[in-house]
Amino acid sequence: MTDRRTLTLLVTLCVGQVLLISAQVQSREGLSLFQVAAFDAFAGVQRVTGGVTDTIRGIWGSYFGLRGVARENAALRTQLLEMAAELQQQRAIAAQTRALEDLLGLEPQVSVSTLAARVIAGNVSPGTLTVAIDRGTADGVEPDMAVLGAAGVVGRVISPVARGAATVQLLIDSNAAVAVVFERSKAGGLAVGGAADGALVGEFVPSLADVQVGETVMTSGQDGIYPAGFLVGTVERVTGAGTPNRTIRIRPATDFSYLEIVLVALTRPQTATEGGS
Amino acid sequence: MKFTSVLATVTVAVLAQVTLARFTVGGTWVFDLVLVGVVFAGLQWGPAAGLVGGTLGGMFQDLLSGQIVGVSGLAKTLVGFGAGVIGTQFVLTRAHGRSIIVAASSLVHRLLMLALTALIAQEWPVVSWGALLAELVLNTLAGLVVFQAMSALPGMVARRRAGRRASFGRRQW
Repeated sequence: MTDRRTLTLLVTLCVGQVLLISAQVQSREGLSLFQVAAFDAFAGVQRVTGGVTDTIRGIWGSYFGLRGVARENAALRTQLLEMAAELQQQRAIAAQTRALEDLLGLEPQVSVSTLAARVIAGNVSPGTLTVAIDRGTADGVEPDMAVLGAAGVVGRVISPVARGAATVQLLIDSNAAVAVVFERSKAGGLAVGGAADGALVGEFVPSLADVQVGETVMTSGQDGIYPAGFLVGTVERVTGAGTPNRTIRIRPATDFSYLEIVLVALTRPQTATEGGS
Repeated sequence: MKFTSVLATVTVAVLAQVTLARFTVGGTWVFDLVLVGVVFAGLQWGPAAGLVGGTLGGMFQDLLSGQIVGVSGLAKTLVGFGAGVIGTQFVLTRAHGRSIIVAASSLVHRLLMLALTALIAQEWPVVSWGALLAELVLNTLAGLVVFQAMSALPGMVARRRAGRRASFGRRQW
């Protein structure tokens, strides 16, 4: 069967790992330095593999996947015109808002300064929804900074953060949550990840709030991580409306199936308690 | 030599995992190529190689994903050892026979991970049975491809060598 030496090795390794786990669970500190060093060392390799896959994708997209480009171009031109018109409208609204803020003597909201980062690797351990980005402490990235995408909120930076790379916990991870506000009903709450189909679940939403399907869900900035006013998703389904067991399912705005470039929000939102207002 | 081979297998598996996982983030297509690598090491080189490969691969995953270090390591150590013991008890030469071990290992590994997570968090985590089934199928398919390729490789190399020798002989003539 199995020799004594192998059994001794098995017992030693298992006991060692159990002790390691219990030490981390008790202290909650973990092996942060060791983790950062390992993550930093592996980030270079991840950057290379990410670069290789991007090059292959680029070659495929530039030379082999050109069918229907003319049609797509025409559609994009139309979309650009529509966006330009929308931008004009948004500028007008922003100018109005600024004028109203001046009128009411309100302090204007600080705009969010961001840093573009490239996704270099996916989640190495199945079950945790994280990605690695090519920006780290050298670029001013710290844990608990919000990460945004073109469509909406992507997630937040978590430990370990190395010099040239960082880990991003996606919004759909079972341990992720964001403070939100439902745009139409103005109800506040939390959008929590972890649903099997990649949806978010609305929690701590007042049971009397009239949340409806199709309603836009934005960040409220109350969690001190995500800046206010960024798109989280839209309400997909409301079950058990009018009862204390109401369930609100939110479809995230970001398509998590392939992330390439993301923005790290370098400024954190001021919560009501911090700001003193 | 055996340790170097196990280390190389685990490193290749981790690299393949991080590269391919980028394309399936957030989807139901969950796979664990590191586990496939650990089972491969166990079946190929025995229980000691399986448990060392499991410890290395699991610790690697824990360190890179920012999770509690040792959880995946412990689960993979046990699975790698189990795969190695099965490999020495049964004659598993065919690729599909070995991939059944990958399927069983995937199931045992996931259950171990759930149990360890539940023990640490003091609550049973949300289980997506669809994702679990997808992981089982994808891991098995990956195992089938790896075992098929590994069984075909020696024959391909021998044929190539024989072909080269024959052409060299003709040139001499």
